[in-house]
Amino acid sequence: MYAALVAALVAYTAVAGTGCKAAIQGSGSSFLYPQMEVWVERFREAEPGVVINYNPTGSGTGQNQFLQGVVDFAGSDPPLKRADWERLRGRVVQVPVILGAVAVVYNIPGLRGHLNLSGEVLAGIYLGRVRYWDDPSIRALNPGVELPHREIVAVHRSDSSGTTNVFTLFLHKSAPSLWPEGLVGKSIEWPVDSTGRGVGGKGNQGVAEQVRQNPYSVGYVEYNYAVKTGLSYAWIVNREGVSVPPSRETVLAAAEAALASLPSSPLDDWSGAFQAIVYAPGRESYPIASFSFLILRTHYPDPAKARALSSFLHWLATRGYDYVIEGYAPVPPAIRSMIDEAARIVGGGG
Amino acid sequence: MGQPREDRLFYYSLLPFAGATVAVVLLLAAVLGYYSLPALREYGASVIVGSEWRPSEESPREASYGLLVPLLGTLATAAIAVATAVPVALAMVVATEEVLPPRLRGLLGGVVDVMAAIPTIVYGLWGLEVLAPLLRRHVYPHLNSALGFLPPFSCRAYTGASYLTAGLLLGVIVVPYIYAIVREAYRSIPSKYRLAAYALGATRYEAVRILSGMVRPAVAAAVLLAFGRAAGETVAVALVVGSAFNPPTCLLAPGYTIASLIANQFGESFYYPLMANALYLGGLLLLAIGIIANVAGLRLLAGARSRAGL
Repeated sequence: MYAALVAALVAYTAVAGTGCKAAIQGSGSSFLYPQMEVWVERFREAEPGVVINYNPTGSGTGQNQFLQGVVDFAGSDPPLKRADWERLRGRVVQVPVILGAVAVVYNIPGLRGHLNLSGEVLAGIYLGRVRYWDDPSIRALNPGVELPHREIVAVHRSDSSGTTNVFTLFLHKSAPSLWPEGLVGKSIEWPVDSTGRGVGGKGNQGVAEQVRQNPYSVGYVEYNYAVKTGLSYAWIVNREGVSVPPSRETVLAAAEAALASLPSSPLDDWSGAFQAIVYAPGRESYPIASFSFLILRTHYPDPAKARALSSFLHWLATRGYDYVIEGYAPVPPAIRSMIDEAARIVGGGG
Repeated sequence: MGQPREDRLFYYSLLPFAGATVAVVLLLAAVLGYYSLPALREYGASVIVGSEWRPSEESPREASYGLLVPLLGTLATAAIAVATAVPVALAMVVATEEVLPPRLRGLLGGVVDVMAAIPTIVYGLWGLEVLAPLLRRHVYPHLNSALGFLPPFSCRAYTGASYLTAGLLLGVIVVPYIYAIVREAYRSIPSKYRLAAYALGATRYEAVRILSGMVRPAVAAAVLLAFGRAAGETVAVALVVGSAFNPPTCLLAPGYTIASLIANQFGESFYYPLMANALYLGGLLLLAIGIIANVAGLRLLAGARSRAGL
């Protein structure tokens, strides 16, 4: 008993004795979490004195805790709402740090090759109007592919989700006449449900499970999840009419194309960022791509914290993208220099 | 009081604990009621009788939260559960009390008792992985083609997740509850009735018919208690009901129950003004269903016991 206590004390002093200069608390996006874990691990090797804790509470909670001053930074898929940004103008820094995508997964037994789908077709499916896999609109996108005359089961999220927001925004932007703005959001009323062919799943896992279990179904999950579960995913027709698969390259291309409509400083209002990257122009661009942000303060009362966060951001901009895990894509160089700018802002404010 | 001092102390020392139980239930109802009020004030009765569930992050005016679909779904799935579980449980009681050789009686009875101890998440996963695909492949197509003229079976079952799947899974879950109540009643029938039946020359089948008639009030009580249990079940149902806003007019379609709606949407509900309040109201409705079913069931049971002379 005493031995254990002594051992614990020794271990504690050993940890405390490594010269811990700053402990940083962050919370937010669970999408960002696996990548953040890798970064935190690698950063600790580069700078052992800084301890960063990141808690995957979900983007909304992360933003909330950041705004209330509970955490030092937030990870969030959506940037701050315009109203929140206005209120904190000049005191808050936002930078996209990683790119993700929404993959459209399907389960069509016996289908060979890949399936091409467009926003119009997907809107039709989730409205309940496109009923069979061999619908003329799907056949037109997939010449030479033998499609079964089977009814389509449309799987969607049953909980509120940023993934649903990006997916429905894509449907609206690519097929505005079919998919009204009222059906864009993190949690919506799915028209297909009333046909009995719509089914919900909780979380990416729930959607993947329903797709796996129901032959002739289609669903949408985060790209990294599609990669992990090994479900087939569709190529999606982009703004230029080219069908592209989700991949590091096509997602990066979408971000490059979106740059022109994005703010040029971390101090700006980023609330329109999703409008810019979803259904972005460019022949190579994957049309259902998204950002994930880090949100920080410009000034931290504790100078050690400011220095630590600044050096993390600088490390991220210069070395972090050597460690991007599968299913995610690095941000383009222009955004990396913005992350470095954010490092200067945060560091200079100490 | 004319009681010895010790007994009085004993009585008073137990009072706080008994009182705490009552207080917890009252407090539960009060909190649910308190948090439901804002939703009732904004939307009026349409929270209960409306069937549209359209959340809005921006303003409560753009949103609508109608609980009718999940409310009907709750009643439908619980009714299916009880309707399927009662015959099974009754057959098991007769089997373990009258028909099976003594060794098998103990075994079967033990297995049913163990069923009650299995966490419902385990039933849920089994329902998702085994029951739902099985029903979708081998049962629902036939049900639809044979009984498609009846509204409850009129739609094609595209997914294994549906009201009927949830109801049948709940049926499996409540079998041990019904079994335990009915078995207890059956065992408490004074042996003179059984002896009398045989003395009059009844066959075993006739004797069982006479005796099972005597436990009818217990069966009714078991039905009500199991209904309350099934209506409140959350996690197993959330996995197999399909989470889609569909009225349970056709049972082969995916749907919602109140408990599964809360499980799905409560986590993020605070980003939507008044959604959490509407979900609290759902909780209050569940509590009401549970209390009505349980009180009615327990009263029936008490009546049955007193008539049996216990």
